[in-house]
Order: sequence, then structure tokens, then C-alpha cells
Amino acid sequence: MFKYQFDWSVVLTGQYAQWIVDGIKVTIQLSMASIALSFLMGLIIAVMRMSQVAPIRGVAHGYLEFIRNTPLLVQFFFWYFGSYQILPQAVNDWLNARDFEFAAAVIALTIYTSAFIAEDIRSGIRSIPKEQMEAARSSGFSYIRSMLYIILPQAVRLTIPPLISQFLNLTKNSSLAMTIGVAELTYQARQVESYTFRGFEAFTAATLVYLVMSLVITGLVMLYDKKVLSPTGMK
Amino acid sequence: MKKILAVLLTVAFVAGLAGIALAEDTYDIVKKRGTLIVGTKDASPGFGYIDPKTREIIGYDCDFAAYLAKKMGVKLELKGVTSAARIPQLQAGNVDLIAATLTWTAERAKQVDFSYTYFLTGQKFLVKKGTVNSLADLEGKKLGTAKGTTSEQNASKALPKATILSFDDYPQAFLALQQGKVVAVTTDESILAGILGKAPNKDQYEIADIRISDEPYGIAMRKDSPKMLKFVNDTLLEMEKNGEAKKIWDKWFNPKSDQPMPRGKFKITADRK
Repeated sequence: MFKYQFDWSVVLTGQYAQWIVDGIKVTIQLSMASIALSFLMGLIIAVMRMSQVAPIRGVAHGYLEFIRNTPLLVQFFFWYFGSYQILPQAVNDWLNARDFEFAAAVIALTIYTSAFIAEDIRSGIRSIPKEQMEAARSSGFSYIRSMLYIILPQAVRLTIPPLISQFLNLTKNSSLAMTIGVAELTYQARQVESYTFRGFEAFTAATLVYLVMSLVITGLVMLYDKKVLSPTGMK
Repeated sequence: MKKILAVLLTVAFVAGLAGIALAEDTYDIVKKRGTLIVGTKDASPGFGYIDPKTREIIGYDCDFAAYLAKKMGVKLELKGVTSAARIPQLQAGNVDLIAATLTWTAERAKQVDFSYTYFLTGQKFLVKKGTVNSLADLEGKKLGTAKGTTSEQNASKALPKATILSFDDYPQAFLALQQGKVVAVTTDESILAGILGKAPNKDQYEIADIRISDEPYGIAMRKDSPKMLKFVNDTLLEMEKNGEAKKIWDKWFNPKSDQPMPRGKFKITADRK
């Protein structure tokens, strides 16, 4: 049978607990920055995807298919290592002197998740009767303004459940950042394991933290929906 | 009662025989036999590996064994041993010496006798040529290594202010070095040499002569052979003096080789390290 003496003091006190806390901080920063940016980017792509202008629609379509159909890990490597080949040397030097690992992780997570968010928002937009757009346009709203003031507020509200899923996926996907040396939660849990051989404790702690973070994100988005997006209780 | 006595006598007799056999110094056994049997690795590039052309074991360890046999005036026989079987093979008497990338540790020194250090390695730094001369050049910089290794722990101990990026594996750490994302890749020298040996532009990189952990290799023999120990140690010192030891090092680990490892300040001396 499974006989393992758990020793929680390893991950709850001292230096190793500090590592886990450091990891939690980085994971939160990484997730929050990427959630905000990917939501913005997703909105833009969704609107481009529904544009009347064919080339804009085409670009958005290409972006979606390309990003959604390549592995996230490959995208991490692309932004971190691949970008070096394209960028001028001066830019590379500037980036290397800074925390480019973190920035590359945010870029990869943002771009990857924005493609999924865009598709969710697009389905939200499509569920709004197209007469609303026609009515808005005939009332003198431009296309952008009709989107911003009439369509999107309703579409986003309808998209809340799938959006939550995307945000949760993003938070968990952020653990891939450890492959490019970002010291986030999973990275730190692994460090604790390799220093103490207390892998069960370290990863159990990390799992619980991801669970709590996911629940908090779900709660926050639901709260935002209830208080800000649908205060009148429209469903 | 008689039976027990008989058993006891037999045990005593066998133990006595074994005692006599073991008490003989390995040096004398080898002289009598006319062949020195040395256990070496047979799949460790640079140290002991099979030459694809001749099918014979060659390498740094083998050249030392050959010199010892020549000095003794006996024939040399090389036997391939694995890491796990090295010390048991020696203790069982299947080989007279082991020269098989065996790191001196206090624990092992209780079981076998070690010669002076004839190869010194440890954790070092792979860097762009000419960029790093001392440990101080690395303090506060970004360093790359692989996850879950002791290399990382050694590095953070030696360089507390450095940022250590642990990648999934060494090729990525080396890529980060090539792109200037880290100033050095740090781990065991043999791994670094393996990376460097395969690198397409290896003349642009070097292993800096800074060591933050020690792995001294010694030639090991059974504990009951003070004559053999003295002979091996004297011969090693002689090889250092007449330049043979350096010649063998450069033959296998020169910058153009597949395992480029600089000898640096290392010399065979009567000290352990």
C-alpha cells in the first residue's frame, strides 16, 4: 500500500515556503497580465473577424487558425528563442538585459489565449440578432460605435461562461513558462522537490494554490457579471 | 560434537587459504602472472570507449593503464567494467586496478585504496570565449542550467546574487547562451564538454577554468596492496614530471576533440586534490 510520511513543514515554513510564495506571486502576475491583455486582443480579433472588409477578415481568420492549431509550448519557444533571429541585435541586447523571460511568457500566453477568446466572443456577437446592427447603423452609428455601444456589451455578457474557461486555462497554462526559465509556481514546486525530495508535498501545495486561484477567478468574473454587466438581472 | 568440530576446521582452513591468497600484494600477483588486468569503462567517450575501427578499448584511462603495465614490464589486459560493477569486480579479484572515471569519495575510500588524483573535473562554466576569467565575472549575471540538478544548487551557493534560469535540458540552456540570454551554462564539465564538442561553432565558446565543485578521479586497487599503491603513485608522479600525463590529457581532451576539456592548472601531486 501507499506508505509515505508526509512532512508538511517543508513547504509551510522557512526557505522553501518562501520559494512557493515567490512562485505564487509570479504566477499571479503572469496570469493577470495575460488575462487582461488576451481579453483586449480577443475583442479586437473578434471584431476584425466580423468586419465587412475582406482583407481585415482574412488576416483575423489566418491569425486564429494559425495560433489555435499550434502547440502552446512551441509558441513559448518561438517568442523566447525564435524572436532572436528576427529582431535586430540592439533590441535583443536590450531585451536580454531585462526580464525577457517573463515578457516572452506574457506574449505567448496572450497571443495563444486571445485566439480562443476571439472565437468565443464572435459566437457571442453572432447570437445578437443582426437587426440590432442594422438598426444601429441606420440610426447613424458607425460600425465601430455600433459594436462598442450596442453589440459588444450584450455579446460579452453572453460569453461569460466560456470566457471563464479560457481564463482558467490560461492560468494553468502559465506553468509552461517554466520551460523558458520563469520561476512561477510549478517551477518553484519542482525546485523544492529537487532540493528536498519532498515532491508530494510541494506539488500538493501547488495544486491547491492553482485550485484556489481558479476558484477566485471564477468568483471575480461572476461578481463582475452580476454587479457591472447585468445589474438588472438580465439573462 | 565431532561434526561441529569438522565444520569449524573446514571453515578455518578455507578462511586461512583465502587469507593467504588475499594477503599477497597485487603487485606480486601481477608480476608472477605477467599480465596487468585493468578495468576501464568501455562506453565513456574520451576515457574508455571502443574504437569503431579496431574494436579495442581506447581512451585517457587506457593510456594510463598502458604506461603502468609498460613500467612494470608486463602485458596489459583491459576489461570493460560498468559504473555499478567497478568496485565489486576489483574486490572479487577479477581486475587488478580500476581506472574507470572513478571519483574519490570518503565512502569509497573505506572500501578500496585510491591513487593520487590523475584527472580532476567538477562543475564548471561554458562561456563565450574570453568573456569570463573569474568567478567575480559571473556574480549578479544570468546563468543557465537544467532543472532538478545539483548543478543549480552548487551555482546558487557559489554565486548567491546570480539569477539562475533552469531550462528543461542543456540544449536549451546552450541556445540561451548563444543568444546572449545567459552569460554561462553551468554543470558537470563532462556534460559541458559534450555540448561543446557537438556545437557547430565551437571555436567561439570555451569552458572557463573556474571550478565550483570537485570530482577527483583516482586509480583504485584492493586495500591489501601497499606495494601496488606505492608503485602506482610513484608512476603517476613520474608521468607528471616527464610530461607524459599532460600529453595524454591533451591527446584526448584538446580543443579540437569531441570532449574539449582544458587541463588548466591541474597537476598530478601527492595531495588528494
